[in-house]
Amino acid sequence: MNDSRFEDLPVPVVRKRKRGWPSAVWIVPILAIAAASALAIRAYLQRGPTIQITFETADGLEVGKSDVRYKNLPVGTISNIELADDERTIIATVKLDRGAAKLAVTDSRFWVERPRVGVGGVSGLGTLLSGAYIGVDHGASKDKADHFKGLEKPPGIMHDQVGRRFRIDAIDAGSLSVHTPVYLRRQQVGAISALELSPDGTRVAIEVFIDSPYDRVVTDTTVFWNTSGLDIAIDATGLRLNTQSLASVVAGGIAFGTRPGDPPGRPVAENTKFPLFDDRAHAMARPDPSQLPLKMRFHQPLRGIGLGAQIDFEGVRVGQIDAMNLGYDAAAHGFYTDVDATVYPERLGAAYAALVEEGQRRGKTGPEMLQSLVARGLRAQLRSGNFLTGQFFIALTWFPDQRSKEVGADHPGVWVVPTERGGTDQIQDQVESIVAKIDKIPFDAIGNDTRDTMRAATSLLGHVDRDVVPSAQQLVGQAGAAMLAVREAVGALRDNVAAPDSAIQQTTRSTLEQLENAARSLRGLADYLQHHPESILRGRASGAEPKGSP
Amino acid sequence: MIRGVDVGLAACHTCELVVNLGGSRDGAEATCPRCHARVRFRKARAGTHVTALLIAAVALYLPANALTMMYTEEFPMRRADTILSGVKFLWQQGSPGLAVIVFAASILVPLLKLAALGFLVVTAKRHSGWRPRTRTKLYRVLEVIGYWSMLDVFVVSLLTAVVQLGRFAHIAPGPAVLPFAGVVVLTMLASASFDARTLWDRGSA
Repeated sequence: MNDSRFEDLPVPVVRKRKRGWPSAVWIVPILAIAAASALAIRAYLQRGPTIQITFETADGLEVGKSDVRYKNLPVGTISNIELADDERTIIATVKLDRGAAKLAVTDSRFWVERPRVGVGGVSGLGTLLSGAYIGVDHGASKDKADHFKGLEKPPGIMHDQVGRRFRIDAIDAGSLSVHTPVYLRRQQVGAISALELSPDGTRVAIEVFIDSPYDRVVTDTTVFWNTSGLDIAIDATGLRLNTQSLASVVAGGIAFGTRPGDPPGRPVAENTKFPLFDDRAHAMARPDPSQLPLKMRFHQPLRGIGLGAQIDFEGVRVGQIDAMNLGYDAAAHGFYTDVDATVYPERLGAAYAALVEEGQRRGKTGPEMLQSLVARGLRAQLRSGNFLTGQFFIALTWFPDQRSKEVGADHPGVWVVPTERGGTDQIQDQVESIVAKIDKIPFDAIGNDTRDTMRAATSLLGHVDRDVVPSAQQLVGQAGAAMLAVREAVGALRDNVAAPDSAIQQTTRSTLEQLENAARSLRGLADYLQHHPESILRGRASGAEPKGSP
Repeated sequence: MIRGVDVGLAACHTCELVVNLGGSRDGAEATCPRCHARVRFRKARAGTHVTALLIAAVALYLPANALTMMYTEEFPMRRADTILSGVKFLWQQGSPGLAVIVFAASILVPLLKLAALGFLVVTAKRHSGWRPRTRTKLYRVLEVIGYWSMLDVFVVSLLTAVVQLGRFAHIAPGPAVLPFAGVVVLTMLASASFDARTLWDRGSA
């Protein structure tokens, strides 16, 4: 079908065709698919696990914006936030980076980092600008997990911190809370990592974390005490102020140490339980191995005595008051106060040991020994401890006059000590007696005496007026005449000495003139010698008169 | 209607010289006497070329949309956007116009281009007689809008160069940029290697 009309059109150069390879263009899709697969595989490999964390609130969290950070390094992002099925919590779905996959283990902890201002310091300030983020604490477990319950506050102790945990059993947590520092010799060596009320609400279980190496300082002789707030003690030694640091004054704190004199002790295992003492003084006081219940009945008002008031024996604080009950004695138609107290006899030290020894030697029991002490006059008495604060204490002291008094046997197992009036009553009595003495002073008679004395003084003055004054006047007249004579004598003396023509004056003037002449000739000699020094050897040259001064 | 191929005539693709290929239709290699380019009745294996390039483009289209296009660090925000999430972000930030433009240029146009080219290749292969004029128009549109779909790559390149304010603001290209550019280039090559004349080859030929 070649048309002859196109015969004059150019004819292409026609060559034999070469071998027919499949088109090279197929390399392109092969390369593209390879590249796409490589990208897909890489993306798949880089994809970390997706985990879900429940939080109380989504405050500050935003999908796509808030990230997950481990040691402040972004390791994932929040891909979704939704309400949990129970509508009480929110569930944040987090995509972790590939490298952070190992963070998703069972005991990892997640919390929302927000700006927090506390007494102990400020944290999370960066989140003010960047918004909240989810912090991670890498758990030690190897078991993978993908559901977590988020903490509302950062955990006190991170997993990678080296140290040990100990349990502290407290009755009252005071101002302690998680993150509250733990001090050793006023240096912070740890913090409270957990704090919770026991289920029955009677105690507070505190978990402290002591950083290595100071965790080894905690031994079986270690005592923990609360250093919260100001520990002000006013006692016989004056005013003492014990604080750990300014932060602990406000935020509270726990300190630990060993009682002076105690051995360092043996190391204890982690999670060993310790009691928490209220303050350093209580912690440092040795525990009292034996306690004696003591009963006393006071027939006087116990104003100024409170629970815990001290009981003193020979200056040693041996116990404290536990209970006080007001009673009514129908027979005597009077009120009395029963006081229950606890006494720690070990505080008497060697004295107690000696007493026990004596009791054993004489085959007497404790109550019998007390009976014998009472028989020798041991009594309890209310005494004023501090006039400023109005505090009283109960002293076990001796009244040798009152020896025989039966120890009441109506309280088995309880040691009863009879009492003696004292304290306020005694002071009142003394004041009364002072007032009575003042009363007895005869103010009337003293007034009369005074009046008599005044009268005698007046008559004495009258006598002086009448007899003494005239003779005094006479004496003054004589003195005036004497003065006149003296003046005359002085006038005569002046006439003799000071007149210009008196003999003394004339003699003195001629003497002075002669002295003047002598001085002039001396000056002439000196001048001559100055001009003719040779004259000392050769004598005076003739005609060379020494020139006298004009 | 008489086609050139029916009377043994072909135009050189390079210098447009019409030559008489005559009977040397099969098995021989003809060269333009003026510019020495290859002369064929139709572009050599046009369908194969376009198909191969289209497959490559589709392969790259997936990572181009799935991977991160642009890392934006605008204190205190840090974003990693794919094309689609970027469009969503623009929409939410109150720039729906911009979002529509980006969506059209970066997602819709490449997608339509792939689909349209595929449609043209298939119909040409089958020597379909369906509306050759409409299909030719479609092809011309594809040619024209081809380079406009590079928009995203341009934006990222520009922003990366301009927004380098240290810690305060910082933009970096993501791994999706290369596949995306690949998609655009490959679709352009595919549409260029497509021979619109095949649209007119009826089933009989």
